[in-house]
Order: sequence, then structure tokens, then C-alpha cells
Amino acid sequence: MLSIHARQVLAKAVLPILILLAVGLVLLGLVRRPAVDGVRLMATDFMAPAYHGLVWPQERAKVWLTDLRGATDLAKENARLRDENRALRHWYDVAVALAAENGRLKKSLHWIPETVPQYVTGRVTRDDGGPYSRAVLLDVGSGHDVRIGDVALDAAGLLGRVTEVGPHTVRVLMINDDASRIPVTLGSSHSDAIMAGDDTASPCLIFYPQDHHPVEGERVETRGQSTMPAGLPVGTVHYSAPNRPVVVPDADLDRLDIVRVFDYGDDDSHAPDAPGRVRVKKLPQNPLTGPLPFSWLPNLPDMPGRGGQ
Amino acid sequence: MVAENSTPHLHSAVEPKQTFRRALDMAARAAMPSLFIMFSAILLSAPFGIPGQAQLQFGIAMCTVWFWAYSRPRSMPALAVFLCGLVVEIFSFGPPGTVLLSLLVIYGVSHHWRYGLSRLGFIAGWLIFSILVVLASFFQWALVCLHAVALLSPIPGLFQAALTIGIYPSLTALFVWGRRTFANPDQA
Repeated sequence: MLSIHARQVLAKAVLPILILLAVGLVLLGLVRRPAVDGVRLMATDFMAPAYHGLVWPQERAKVWLTDLRGATDLAKENARLRDENRALRHWYDVAVALAAENGRLKKSLHWIPETVPQYVTGRVTRDDGGPYSRAVLLDVGSGHDVRIGDVALDAAGLLGRVTEVGPHTVRVLMINDDASRIPVTLGSSHSDAIMAGDDTASPCLIFYPQDHHPVEGERVETRGQSTMPAGLPVGTVHYSAPNRPVVVPDADLDRLDIVRVFDYGDDDSHAPDAPGRVRVKKLPQNPLTGPLPFSWLPNLPDMPGRGGQ
Repeated sequence: MVAENSTPHLHSAVEPKQTFRRALDMAARAAMPSLFIMFSAILLSAPFGIPGQAQLQFGIAMCTVWFWAYSRPRSMPALAVFLCGLVVEIFSFGPPGTVLLSLLVIYGVSHHWRYGLSRLGFIAGWLIFSILVVLASFFQWALVCLHAVALLSPIPGLFQAALTIGIYPSLTALFVWGRRTFANPDQA
């Protein structure tokens, strides 16, 4: 049993020790952030079923509210749906005709078919942003093959890229996060740019050519680079202020539910060695510094112009 | 008067018999503030889509630790603050250790000045709490900038501080009621 004095000393030492441990955790976070995030991901994996249970009443309430809104204005809703259906039929016909034409053109050009990407679909387990970042956690189930760098899309467009992978859960860094940089191509001007997240709803465009400024309303697509394929829909250009083009994302970044994660594989299209370019073997700096093969020769005096003076 | 002895000590002759059930009840009541922080942290990490959810995690933890550390320190020992901080850290994705360190610092201040804070009025206590919360949010912002190697906007941090300061009066009302009733170990 400890004496009263020892207990008093121990009681006074507890808080400084705990503060030191907390400082240690801060330092660990600075130097080994993935280790800490791995623990957090494990906790989320463990809690994923509970999260589904927690948000289930909210989801049901949303469904009921939507049904209720539809039921109160059935005639107007039916008219809107009829119009939408008519427009969709028209676009369906256009799409079928374009697909057939595209197929014919590809056949005549002997087009090499692109690989079909693998994908998994997951539900957003939780918004994982915090005050300074924009990220979501997806529950993709066990046995998935998601890798860091894979591309996440919702029904409308690009959402972000996978940054951490757990046994059941993956973390997707959204395109509007401050750390996100996505190479993009602008639809009509065909110039390249970088879409940089800035923690707002609309990421901004940077590094675009100064003689080809982005045009208001033009489409923004991904530019093929590494595991990021070309042509994924991202959004449209909008000028929030003069000389400040931003991208209004197609994806609904605020209300995410079902998300697909695509694995486009590694980019193994390495350029072949150019003919005629042969690696030149480097000659030794001074070939005469080593022992000479004909050691029977007498030592030569230093000659002018050979260095060594 | 010391705040932690707010309930008059009963005479031993009229004290209820110490049974296992009563000990369990007392422990549960004493652990109520810590359980409240942990439960809030886990609940607020679910994808409800409520604006400011992550900031609320921080805010609730800070308010709870501040209030109970000076109001009834037996219900909020340093080790419990550490465990609560760890739970909040695990169920949030901010820079690691900042919430934990902020909670321990605010606990240290509140516990050290508990006699003075008990004598001070609500407004003065709220003001001191507000200053500490702004400092904690600034510290968090500085660490995020260090992580990102960039100067980020301090607006999210200010929003977090404002939310924490804003919810303090309502949480204090709940805690004052809880201190007399469901979180009072003497009523077990």
C-alpha cells in the first residue's frame, strides 16, 4: 500500500504524464500519420454495421417525406415525369445511333478495345472530413480489391480518389479537399489544367494556358494520367469571380449515398526505347590514376597539360 | 464552499447500506460525463449529414470536460479525460492528438482553478472557457497547416470555436440538472 505522500505525488504527476503522452501522439501524427489513420479505419470497420443501424431511421424518414411530397402533387409530378420520359426517349434514340456509328468507326479503324475497369459499389459509412478536410468512408465489404489511387464516382461524375484502404472500408479524398489535385481537360478549348480543391463546394482551376482561358459553361473531364483514365465527367466551368474559374462538380458532393470505386489498373503504357539512343558508358575520370597494366615501365615525370600541378 | 462537496454529507447512521447494486449505480452515475462524451463522439461520427457534425464532437467534449472538472472533479478524473480524448481521436479524422491535448489542457486549467471558478459567475467562467476554446482551435489550425505545408483558411477553426462557445450555456443547463439528479453518485 502506498503512503499518503506517495499517493499525493502520484496524483500530481498523472496529468503531466498524460499531457506528455498526448504530445507524443501529436508528434506521431506528424511523422507517421498513416499508422494513426489505420487505427481510425479499423475502428470505422468495426462500427460500420452500427452506423447503418443509426442512420436507418433517418433514411426511412427521408423516403417517407419524398413519398409524401409526391403524393400531395400527383398530377403535376405525372406531367413532369411524362415530359422527362419523352426527352429521355429522344436521347435514348440519339445514344443508340451514336453507339452504332461509334462501333462502325472503331471497326474501320481497327480500334484496340480498352480494358473494362473492375469496380465495387459501396455505401457511404460516414462523412470523414472534419473541419479542415473533405473525405468520406465507404463500406465496400470484405474481399474487395480496391487499391490506393482508385477512382470514385457517383451516378453523375467524379467524386475523388481512394487514399486509405481497410479490410471492409476505404477512405475517399473528395475533389474539393484542400489536398486534392486532379489533372483535367477542358471540353471545348481542349486545353489542360489542374483542378485544385480548396475546401469549398467548387474546386478551382489552376495552371491552364494563359492564351486559352477556360470558357464559362464548358465541360471538364479527367485527363488520362497514371491510374486516372481520360474522359471521366467532372463538371462544368464557372467564373465565381473575374479570373477565377472554378468547376461546378456533376457529382453531388453534399449528399452522397451509393458510390462506385473503379480500378483502372496501372498505366503500363511505357514508351519503348527510342532507336539510336544508346546509353553511353561513363569513362573513368582519369584513366591513368589506377595502376598501369605494364608495371615494368619506369615512373614517368608529370607532363605539362596533364594536370596534377 | 468547495464545489465537489455540494451535496451535504449524510450521517453514517442514516447512510444506505453499501451493496453491490448501489456501488454499481454510484459508479455509473460518476462515469456519466465520460460516457456522455464517448457516446456523443460515436453518435456524431455516423453519416447523418448534419452540418457541423465534426465540430460538435470537439465542442461537446470540451464543454463537458470544462464543466465537470471544476464542478465535480470526482466524476471527471484525468485518466477519464485521457480515455475520452482517445475515443474522440479515434472517431474523428483531424490531425492526431490535438483534441486529446486540448482536452487535457482545458482539464488542467479547470481543475487547477476549480475553487476560483466555483466562486466566479457563469458569464466570467464562460468568457475564460471561450478564450481557451479559441486557443485550442488556433492550435488545431496551426497543426493542420503544418501537416498540409500550406496556409489554410482559419474560418473552419473559428466556426468550430463559435459553435463550442455557443452550445456551452445549453450544455451547462443540462449538466447542472444532471449534477443534482442522474449524474449524482450520492443519490444512488
